[in-house]
Amino acid sequence: MLPRLRRFAVGLCGNPADGDDLCQMSIERALANRDKWQAGTRLDSWMYRIMRNLWIDEGRATTRRRETFVAEEAGFSVGGEGAQEPAVELSMVDRAMQQLPEEQREAVLLVMVEGYAYKEAAEIVGCPVGTLNSRLVRGRDALLEMLGEKA
Amino acid sequence: MTVSREDIAAFVDGELAGEREAEVAAAIAADPDLQRQVEAHRALKAQLSGHFAPISEEPVPDALAALLAPKQAEVVDFAAARERRETRRSIPRWGWIAGPALAASLALAVFLPRGGSADGYADAQLARVLDSQLVVEQGPDAETRILLSFRDGEGDFCRAFSSVEGSGIACRDAQGWKFAAQGEGSDGAKTDYRMAGAGDGEILARAQQMADGPALDAQAEAEARDGGWR
Repeated sequence: MLPRLRRFAVGLCGNPADGDDLCQMSIERALANRDKWQAGTRLDSWMYRIMRNLWIDEGRATTRRRETFVAEEAGFSVGGEGAQEPAVELSMVDRAMQQLPEEQREAVLLVMVEGYAYKEAAEIVGCPVGTLNSRLVRGRDALLEMLGEKA
Repeated sequence: MTVSREDIAAFVDGELAGEREAEVAAAIAADPDLQRQVEAHRALKAQLSGHFAPISEEPVPDALAALLAPKQAEVVDFAAARERRETRRSIPRWGWIAGPALAASLALAVFLPRGGSADGYADAQLARVLDSQLVVEQGPDAETRILLSFRDGEGDFCRAFSSVEGSGIACRDAQGWKFAAQGEGSDGAKTDYRMAGAGDGEILARAQQMADGPALDAQAEAEARDGGWR
């Protein structure tokens, strides 16, 4: 589960350093609140929810700062030679994800990367399924536009 | 019938069920523009999965693992699994994604699907599904779901599939459906706790690497089936 949690954290934060910080905070909070986890419910969903709430509560200021930095850095590599293409494409995905509003980014990550069903993702985020669905569609459309329809 | 963008997305995610899924599938089959949208969504999903997959395959930084180490004995499993991973590099790396079913134990494990015979070919039951089932026709309760079909670099037809017992990619050669990739099973698309995407994402990312061009659309897939996948 830890590798998957890290993946979600890095996806939310947009870079590994902040992602690992978020991951660490989440584990600490989970351990501190161990008694609140109900046996029989899903530990991974519970952990995702803790992480997601932490990110919303505390991570925003940090993420904002980094966003500016990451965008600038990616801007340089876009101007590079064609030989760097794979790296550029990767950072394109990161950059596109960071352009999404937070609510769309988390919906996209939970469903399209982590593979949660809509209902599960909605429970983690704490919103109705219909709301999650429309965030997801808006996020997807924005990504398709930014990344180009490759099909 | 009108098909909204929500419908297309939900269809791609396997979130539609019953009549609605059949309606949307029929509308997609009849409309090349919708097929194009479906493919675009699938490609996006594969691109995202492929992009984020490496993060979950990296060793967890010691600082994070250490947080859990003194308190939870399960971490031992995790370390052991990582060690096994190092010694068994011949197993495809994406076979080692931590399974959600094991979430509570923090352990990594590998699942090889049943449905394979010893020589690396699909058994009769799986072969029947691979031979006959089309993406747009399958119901949400299909035991084995075809994720997509494509041609590999050698021009052979390949199909990515997913079931509770195992997911993978099989390519049709003169002898039968030969496994090109195998991953862990998913829990099926219709339960509330579906985690299909976690394993399927890896398979789709792999399919994207293998594919020579985009996945087959509904029409091309039907034609390929009628031609016996050769």
